[in-house]
Amino acid sequence: MSALIEMRKIAKSYRGAVALKDVDFTLEEGEIHALVGENGAGKSTLTKIMAGAVEADGGTMLFAGEPVAFRAPAEALAAGIAMVFQETSLVPSMTVAQNLYLGDEPFLSRLRGVQVAAQQFLQSLNFTVDPGALVSTLGAAKRQMVEIARAVRLRARVIIFDEPTATLTPEEKRYFFALLRRLKARGVSIVFISHALEEALRISDRITILRDGGLVTTGETPSFTRDSIIAAMVGRVLSGELYRKRDDIAGLRRAGDKALSVQDVSMGNIVRNNAFSLFYAQVTGIFGLIGSGRTETAKIIAGIYKRDFVRGGEIERDGQPIRYRVPRQAMQDGIVYVTEDRKLEGFFETKSIAENLYSGYLAAGLNRSVVVSMREMARLAETWRKTLNIRALESNERVVELSGGNQQKVVIGKSLVQKPRIIIFDEPTRGVDVGAIAEIHALIGGLADEGLAVIVISSYLPEIMNLSDRILVFRQGRCVEEFSPAEVDEERIMYAAVH
Amino acid sequence: MTGWFLLLGRRRQEDTVFLLTILLFLTFSFVLHGFLTTGNIIALLRSVALLGILAVGMGIVVIGRGIDLSLVAILAISVAVFLNLLGQSYPIGIALLLALVGVIAVGALNGVLTAYAEMPAIFATLATGTFVYGLGRSQFLTQDVIYLPPGHDLFTAFGNARLASIPVEVVVFAFILVGAFLWLRFSKYGRYIYLIGDNLNAARNAGLPVRPVIVLQYVVSALLAFVAGLIMAAGIHSMNTRIVNSSLLYDVILVVVIGGIGLSGGKGGVRNLIVGTLLIGILLNGMTILDISDLYQNLIKATVLLAALIVDGVLNPRDEQTDQQGDI
Repeated sequence: MSALIEMRKIAKSYRGAVALKDVDFTLEEGEIHALVGENGAGKSTLTKIMAGAVEADGGTMLFAGEPVAFRAPAEALAAGIAMVFQETSLVPSMTVAQNLYLGDEPFLSRLRGVQVAAQQFLQSLNFTVDPGALVSTLGAAKRQMVEIARAVRLRARVIIFDEPTATLTPEEKRYFFALLRRLKARGVSIVFISHALEEALRISDRITILRDGGLVTTGETPSFTRDSIIAAMVGRVLSGELYRKRDDIAGLRRAGDKALSVQDVSMGNIVRNNAFSLFYAQVTGIFGLIGSGRTETAKIIAGIYKRDFVRGGEIERDGQPIRYRVPRQAMQDGIVYVTEDRKLEGFFETKSIAENLYSGYLAAGLNRSVVVSMREMARLAETWRKTLNIRALESNERVVELSGGNQQKVVIGKSLVQKPRIIIFDEPTRGVDVGAIAEIHALIGGLADEGLAVIVISSYLPEIMNLSDRILVFRQGRCVEEFSPAEVDEERIMYAAVH
Repeated sequence: MTGWFLLLGRRRQEDTVFLLTILLFLTFSFVLHGFLTTGNIIALLRSVALLGILAVGMGIVVIGRGIDLSLVAILAISVAVFLNLLGQSYPIGIALLLALVGVIAVGALNGVLTAYAEMPAIFATLATGTFVYGLGRSQFLTQDVIYLPPGHDLFTAFGNARLASIPVEVVVFAFILVGAFLWLRFSKYGRYIYLIGDNLNAARNAGLPVRPVIVLQYVVSALLAFVAGLIMAAGIHSMNTRIVNSSLLYDVILVVVIGGIGLSGGKGGVRNLIVGTLLIGILLNGMTILDISDLYQNLIKATVLLAALIVDGVLNPRDEQTDQQGDI
């Protein structure tokens, strides 16, 4: 093996904030190289420099022995380095074949000709995608397949994946890893960024760990363990209890009064006759694959979506039937939803930490008067920054500039300010660094201890196993099974979610 | 190129615009005869005040990530109908009340169409503007220009009133600026407009009364248009409904964009409106003194607007993820 990409002393700062300092990185020919680190460690910046999306401030990069400095992604692509983003670079309203040949069509493009060529090409890769299918009808895994096929077609020698598995279901992940191995067999070198350490350990040949913009270590995968990676990522040894399985029944919280009763709730084809109950002083974990209707059901409860008007079923809160038109009504009834996509529908990115927290306070009508009080806002921000351990220099800092973990804490804080009685966390630790995960988990447990009814939705089984006092499994729009975490193992839950 | 934009961005857009304004003012003062005379400065302030009042209305809507293209139609038709009612010898109080009801109804219609029917603001307000003009012109008004009937001395006196030799328009504009500042900065609903403009889904999920606030912002902008129209009519004792087809609406958008209220919403404030109004007011006044023909004035304004939009696009990029189709 020889080094295909060799980066020496790469440095990059954004407006004075150091993103990378003196990082060395080598990618061997035909290897799978995992890049891990907490959020803000510099993984994305490093790969973007490789792919020409960002220019380095200092350092050198050799590609196949030649010094290169890409100024645009197109230059890197022409040289043979492709970066796969999640879904964003495909045109949903076009077919797979059209997407494969996008920007490269013959002058008089015939749909059939492109389709036949795409068919042959996909077959040569052994990819099972219908070239005539519209991209909008494909699942996340198949879309990724199309992205990969496009990179291969452009003769990429290096393919970079940024969190490729975040949106995939477990089966899709397995399939994706098989694809990576097949690419590797064709001599393609792969860099992938991942938060899921098991994946990095399972699939990669080598692992590079970054922390705070600097290189911590790089080495052959077998020389690492899960704990040694975490230790290197956070710079301290975390107790291996982050995803501890709770196997003593005594340790589980007992159900309080019934908080919510969901009966036969339906919404289109996504939620079908869903029925389950929720109790105070307990964490109810909801596990389900993508498309199981877990997020949709949660959003119906919180008033964000409306269930079907005819035969939509019943929801009762504390024995009272409810049907919300807008989230505001749910919030006033003490039901809040903490979103899985905080950037899209969680926080106000141009606003400060203080104003984000205060928005929840205002919405709940806690300030009484029409005039806002800056002093009240500052006090609120100080209190909640301390409670949630939000790490920022000052409360005036804009939320968009925080790390993923701190952003998530702000979003959670914004909801907690409203003093809810029922709180729904949808993927509470997605895109959150390891240190903050432990804090958020502790916080969620604490809320249940205070008597709140808590729902945690997660597609990460160890998280469900660790947090929940009871586990509901969703499949095809309804709750299909209930388990006690003390009496079940991951295989049985997965089996219920799939079959 | 980007370095230059970054410089602009770091220094805050309104500061740069303010600098430009002063430069333009000084240049005109030295180069143009008759620019720095008391008469012209007063004329300048009066025209700036009208533009500014409209820009406050537009600015509030743009901060909430909307746009109000019906502003000038509301201004013209509401005041023309009001003058027409006076002409049919309605008492001034009743005429004012009727016009006010109509204005609020149109503003609320804009809000309902965008907030409840979820139409893109740019199309909804374009349609209501055209509708208001068509309805007013065909049902209530018989000619383009409606004159103030004689005998309303109070109204004309208001138009000529001076407070320590400051024209009444300017005084009203100042009051509106202070009011808008206090409302946007210190009232709950003012803050809601910023939050909704920043991230509508997040605002909805947090339990803010998103739809009522959107309706409110369009009602406020319609009311400000009415006020601007009344002041205009008080000054020239008539209302020419052809103003709907003039470039006034684009001047207003120009003020808002050049002042630095990003079209992506959630940003900017009264300070941006003041500098934007001053710059465009001085530019328009100077071009009139230079006797540049309307055609060339429009060309220059369009160029400035395009440049401002480009700078806005670079400084306040719309996020691919939070962007919606049909959203302006």
